Amino acid sequence: MENVVTHEENWKVCIAELGPGLVLFARQFVRSAADAEDIVQDAFVRFWRKQHSIENRGLLYATVRSVALDLLRRDARRARREATASADMEQTTEPQFNFDDGSQRELAAAIDRLPVEQREVLVMKIWNELTFAEIAEALGISQNTAASRYRYALAALKKNFVAHE
Amino acid sequence: MNDFSELEAELKKLRPRPMSPDLSARIEISLAQEAAGRGTATAGVLPKEQKRFRMNWMGLGLGLAAAATFLLLARVNVDRPSKSPGLALLTPAPLTPAAKAVNEFVPSALTQVVYDTKDEGLHYTNGSDEPMRRVRSRKRETVQWKNPQTGASLRVTYPKEEVTLIPVSGQ
Repeated sequence: MENVVTHEENWKVCIAELGPGLVLFARQFVRSAADAEDIVQDAFVRFWRKQHSIENRGLLYATVRSVALDLLRRDARRARREATASADMEQTTEPQFNFDDGSQRELAAAIDRLPVEQREVLVMKIWNELTFAEIAEALGISQNTAASRYRYALAALKKNFVAHE
Repeated sequence: MNDFSELEAELKKLRPRPMSPDLSARIEISLAQEAAGRGTATAGVLPKEQKRFRMNWMGLGLGLAAAATFLLLARVNVDRPSKSPGLALLTPAPLTPAAKAVNEFVPSALTQVVYDTKDEGLHYTNGSDEPMRRVRSRKRETVQWKNPQTGASLRVTYPKEEVTLIPVSGQ
């Protein structure tokens, strides 16, 4: 039983440490926190089924991304039918961050305006502290491309953020 | 050389919204259900099944024979309602038929995940002449209450160990 307790504790620590970052990453693909949490839950189950090591963070993020894209594909038809409603939803997207002031709100809005391929690299780098090697593995791109997207994201943010200030 | 360092510092000050407190429990239950359903070792994130999975073919054959006998006896003893058949039992069952719109927490679901079952063989209890088969099950139960009016929910998960004595009739 001690063995069991130890493994459960390890697992809980793992979820507590990686969970918030994974949910933020999943939020780049969906509009609601609830959907993002469902994605993370499914991703953990899929990751576990494949018997991957929990140490492999790049693969864990790749799994979250894969689950999110599957969900988007599944919902694509429905989304087309609900195009009008979807336009309304765009304005009621739940914020991803807690804000201390208006400046942070502007910065978050600038992040939302980034193309998704830049945003996902930014989220993995800034709030999940993945290396470019891990980001490259998660996205199936080269490290140079990952680094370029990160720089493009920062450049765009700097431009947009300053413009909105 | 990094002219984005100020911007990076500003970005790091942004705090992602915390995940909901029950997400961890949801993931735990999902993985436990997977473990119970597949009966395989995990990637190190869940309790690993212990020596049972290192058994040799002879042990496996004996185990299957014991399981078959157990099932046969369980069917024969109709005077006792059958409980857990072993392996994994998953019962996400609503406890209340239709939730009334009252502003109080009412039980809404019970989930049982049996992750280990061990047949401890035949035992004679209380000087009885009749042998009893003792089966020990380790499970995790989750009980959920819901407030139908507000939609708030409360979930409690706890480990449980159950010993079942099954009468064995001579044939």
